[in-house]
Formats: sequence, structure tokens, C-alpha cells
Amino acid sequence: MLESIVSYGLAIGGVYALIGITYNVMFTASRVFSFTAGMLGMLGGVFGALFINRLGLPAGVGFIATLAAGAAIGVVTEAVTVRPVLKNLEQHLYVLSTLAFALLVQQFTAIEWSTEPQPFPRLLNIGESMVDQQFWLPVLACATTIVGLELLYRYTLVGRAFLAIAEDSYAARALGLPEQNLRIASYALAGVIGTLAGFAGGEMLLAFFANAPMLNFYGFVPVALGGMGSNRGAVIGGLALGLFQQAANFLVGGIFASVAVFTVFIIVLLARPEGLAGAAVTRRV
Amino acid sequence: MSITRRHVLAGSAAGAASLAIGLVRPAIAASEPIRIGFLPALTGPSSSTGIAINRGTILAVEEINAAGGVNGRLLELITRDTQSDPTKAVNAATELTRRQHVHVVWGPLNSGEALAATPLIARDGVPQLDPCWVDTLTDVKKYPLAFRNAPTNHQIGGAANRYVLGVLKVKKVAVIGDTTGYGTASVETYVPMLSAAGATVVYHGETDASNPDLKPELLRMREAGAEAIMPWSVNAGFLSRIINTRGQMGWDVPIVGQTTLGSGQTKALLEKPEYWDKVYQNNFRSCSYDASGALPARTAAFVDRLQAAKIEMGDTLLWWIALGYDAPKLIAETVKAVGSAPDQIGRHWNSLKAWPGVYGDITWTPEQHNGYPDDEIVFCQASSSHGGAFKVAPGYGA
Repeated sequence: MLESIVSYGLAIGGVYALIGITYNVMFTASRVFSFTAGMLGMLGGVFGALFINRLGLPAGVGFIATLAAGAAIGVVTEAVTVRPVLKNLEQHLYVLSTLAFALLVQQFTAIEWSTEPQPFPRLLNIGESMVDQQFWLPVLACATTIVGLELLYRYTLVGRAFLAIAEDSYAARALGLPEQNLRIASYALAGVIGTLAGFAGGEMLLAFFANAPMLNFYGFVPVALGGMGSNRGAVIGGLALGLFQQAANFLVGGIFASVAVFTVFIIVLLARPEGLAGAAVTRRV
Repeated sequence: MSITRRHVLAGSAAGAASLAIGLVRPAIAASEPIRIGFLPALTGPSSSTGIAINRGTILAVEEINAAGGVNGRLLELITRDTQSDPTKAVNAATELTRRQHVHVVWGPLNSGEALAATPLIARDGVPQLDPCWVDTLTDVKKYPLAFRNAPTNHQIGGAANRYVLGVLKVKKVAVIGDTTGYGTASVETYVPMLSAAGATVVYHGETDASNPDLKPELLRMREAGAEAIMPWSVNAGFLSRIINTRGQMGWDVPIVGQTTLGSGQTKALLEKPEYWDKVYQNNFRSCSYDASGALPARTAAFVDRLQAAKIEMGDTLLWWIALGYDAPKLIAETVKAVGSAPDQIGRHWNSLKAWPGVYGDITWTPEQHNGYPDDEIVFCQASSSHGGAFKVAPGYGA
């Protein structure tokens, strides 16, 4: 039982964490909470199955094509759902625009792909059970992403520019940083990370259009738990969520597992509204 | 009041006109097409059933019209795609009954749509044939002209329970459904039926169909001593996860349940082909291969007609096509026998006895509008699919 909780909990937690990071990357670039993260995760599975299973591309090519498609959809997301509402951020119109776009893509996927879950290709024919790829691939993807983002933000000029617009977009623009281009790049990066989540978890979650709302929902939990904008918090929150959810599956089972997860989620937020890794917001009085 | 020449002329004209209308109306009724309002879901998430039933329905209409129709009247199939959406089904049903003035409504073909549309069709007094399984869709008092030419959920559950208890001789059963209306309703309905039949339900519960790991549930079933798993869901992902997890656990209990267990979508999601062994899904004897691999004679002849008409069977289920084929045939024979007035059709169907359809023999009475026979519902081997039909599960005999 413990083996199953750990292996499966970390794997699904890794997927949640990646979706949480996707939320964060979009949020830090635009201060918009884009509800397209789950949709990107769903598309990662669908594109992977499309490119490798249906079109017969080699796994590596299919992987790169999936991430490229994710980046393209990220750019479209920014242009269609975020940029038009940035001037009226306080009206929170982005909730409607991003949710509508996610729903549109989800329905289009259902019509053009399938309304039934489709198999996701087995990428490497090695190992089963505890070390099966469906368990370690999401964890590896999550670890690679968080390390890559740390390197990007700390050691590259582009990464520092991302941080600058996240910190104060007006000041960054005044310093001559191309805010719009950086935002577009952030959304492309979010597209890559979101589709990576779905691709890495494809064997577990299958290529299924209805994964989008599920990932949107569970991917939001690590962000709320870890603190908005904190990628490390999202990773810790995601993995904790996966482990707790799987433990609840074993201990209470069925639909009660979801109840247990959200009970703990609410308790944590009541105790620390800013999230476990987030800093308390100071307000000038 | 004095009678003037003008009054006499006016009265004569009115009399002549009414006489003329009275004489013409039967002539029109005798030659007008028999309008069948057809409500399949041809697109959307629940369309696989509708697409297959549509094939059979079109074939039957073409055959009847090619043979000259019914007493010189051709069948006119007025199809409205419900798009798997109850709202659209309601709008389409109203259009068919009120604007198109159809003689009979065939459908809707999905329970969710039928639940929404049936009261409206009944309100407009149009005879309705529907093949949906939800029990409440027939009610001789509320819907006196609604007749079901397929089994009810109770009949399906009863057949599953008979197979598990009577044929497999299993006493300890685990029942699992997904959290959809169908899944929860099935679990709630079938668990008491199993208990009443003498089984011990050692596990029952509902799980979100999108839950990617069902191992905890299956471990719970195994620890409770389950000797058979009965899953009720139309979600191929959910069902394949149950089958795959059973295989990974090396647990050799039979899985007995919903039709989708034997679908191509479920097969595509299996980790190993052998995991499909000892999986039995509900089906119908009329559209199943017997132990020697033969279809019943009536069905074999029907399959020949399907092949001659180049109708695809391999990508769907034979019983869906047969069900679609039977409906226009039954309507045509009814109109031939008693005409197309709603009360005439209703009276005829209320006395229908063992009408020989390809899908099954239909019997209705004034008190019972569920016409499908219990003994036609059987369980089949999921892995034996061939041409849209399956081989009956072990234990039914030749």
C-alpha cells in the first residue's frame, strides 16, 4: 500500500505541480490568473497521442512537436484572452475570457479528437510497477522544469527581465524592457510547461478532452497552497496534494477522497491565507 | 327571422364547401406519406448509439419504400440531430409534433434526452417509440402513447444478477459505478436487487470516472472477499482502468457489467489483450453468436441484408443497428394494419404480442409498455467481438 501511495502520489502530484507552475508563469508575467492551465495539460496528452500514435512520429519528434504546439497555443492565449483585458484588470474580465477560451478548445478537442479517452503511447519499453515510466516521468518532468526555471530566472538576462516585469511592470517598461514581448514569451513558456505536464502524465491520465477541468481544478490547489507566484511552493503543494489524495484514496476511498482533500485545503487556507510558501501581503494604511 | 335568397345561397355554399372538405380529407390521408419523426444523437458525446441506430433505420425505410410503401403510402423519415443535448432534443421533438405533424416519434435514443422530450411528445398526443433504458420513461398513465422496444435498467440489472448468481455461482459481489447519474442510479438499483436475490454485496461505491488510479478500490474489493466485480459506467476509461488494475493485481475474478466493457474504445485502452479475458458485458441473444459461433437465423438473414447494402458493422454493435431497423418496420406494419391515427396506433400497440423484430420479440399490453423479453438479455465474452456481435458468455449453453 505504501509503495502505491508513494509512487502514484508523487507521479500525479508532479502533474499537479507542473500545472500549478503553468498558472504561476502566466500570472507573474501579466498579473492575470489564466484558467487555461488545465486545458494545456489536457492538450499535452492529446497532442502526444496524436503525433505519436496516430501520425506515427517517433516519440522524440512527437514530444518536441507537442511542446511546440503548446507554445503556439500559449501565444494565442495571450493575444486573444489576456491582452484585450489588461487595461481593465480590476474588473477581472480575464476570468471570463480565459475560461471561455479553455472551454472552446476543450469542446473543439472533443469534436475533432474524440469524446472517449484514447490510449497514450508507451514512450520507453523499460520497467514496470514501482519504477514504471508512468510514475517517474512526471516526477522527472517536474524536477527538470523547476531546475530549468531557477536557472533561467537566476542566470539569464531574459529570466531577469521576466522577474522585472513580474515585480513592477511599469518600472520595467520605463527601463526600456519590451513588456509585451516578454509577456508573450512567458505565455509561450507556460504553454510548453502545461503540455509537458499532460505529456508526462499521459499514460496515467490518457488522451482525454475531459482532463482539462480536472487539471484546472487540482492544478489550482498547489498554487493556492504554495502561494501565488511561488514555483517552489507549487511543487511542494503539488506533491503534497498527490500524496495526500492517494493516501485518502486508500484510507477512505471513492468520492470521499476528494472531500478529504478539499477539507484539508480549506483548513490550510484558513490557517495561512497567503499559502504555505507565500509572504503575507502588507497593506499601506 | 326571414329566410332570404342570400341566406340560402350562403348556406348552400358553406354546405358544399364542408362536404367537399369532408370528401377530400380521407383521400389526402390515404395518400399522404407516413411521417416518422426521428430523434437520434448523430453528433456529440453520446452519438455512437445514434449513428448505429440511424444506419438500421435508414435501411428499413429504404426497403419499405422500395417495395411500394404501406398501402401506397411512402415512409418519410424526418430526422433531427439532437447533438446529444437534451435541450435540442426538446426543441426538435416539439418541432416534429407541432410543425411537421409526424404520425410517430422514434426516439430520442439517449435516456437524458428522452427524459426531457417524452413528456412533451405525450402532451401533444403523438405515439412514441423509444429504446432508452431508464425505467421511468414508460408510464401508461402519464405517457399512454409511449412504448419501449428495448429493456429497462431493471431488466439489465436482473439479467446481470442472474448471470453472476445463477451461472457463475458467485455469492460475494463488488458493485462499482462512476459518479454520473447513470453510475449512481445503477449502483443504488442493483445492490438491493442482488441482496434480494441472495448475494452478499461485499463492496459497493461510486468513484469519479476521471480518477486515474482505481487500485485502492480494487484492493478494498479483494480484501472484502469479492468473487466478481460488477461495474456500471459508460466511460471506457473508467472501465479499462478496472480491467487493467485487475490484471496488474493478478486477480482472476470475473468482471460482469455494462455494454461498454466490450467496446472498441475499452479494448484500445487495455495494457494487455489478455486482460480482456473473463470480462462479460450485457448483450442480447438475438445479436450474439451461440457456442457454435452462429447467429440466430433471423439475425443471420439480417446481416446478409446489411452486407448487401454495404452497411458497416465492424465499428459498432449489431444490436444497435438491429434496433434501428426494427422501428420503421414495426411502424409500417402498424399503419398497414390499423392506419396512422394516434389512437389507432396506441390501441394496436397495446395489444401487440411477440412482434418478431430482429432485435427481439416485442409484446405490449395496456398495463405494460416495456416490451422487451427478459430471456433475450444475455452476457457475452468481451474479447469475442466480430462484426459488431459477440459470443455468449460461458454457461448459457448452446
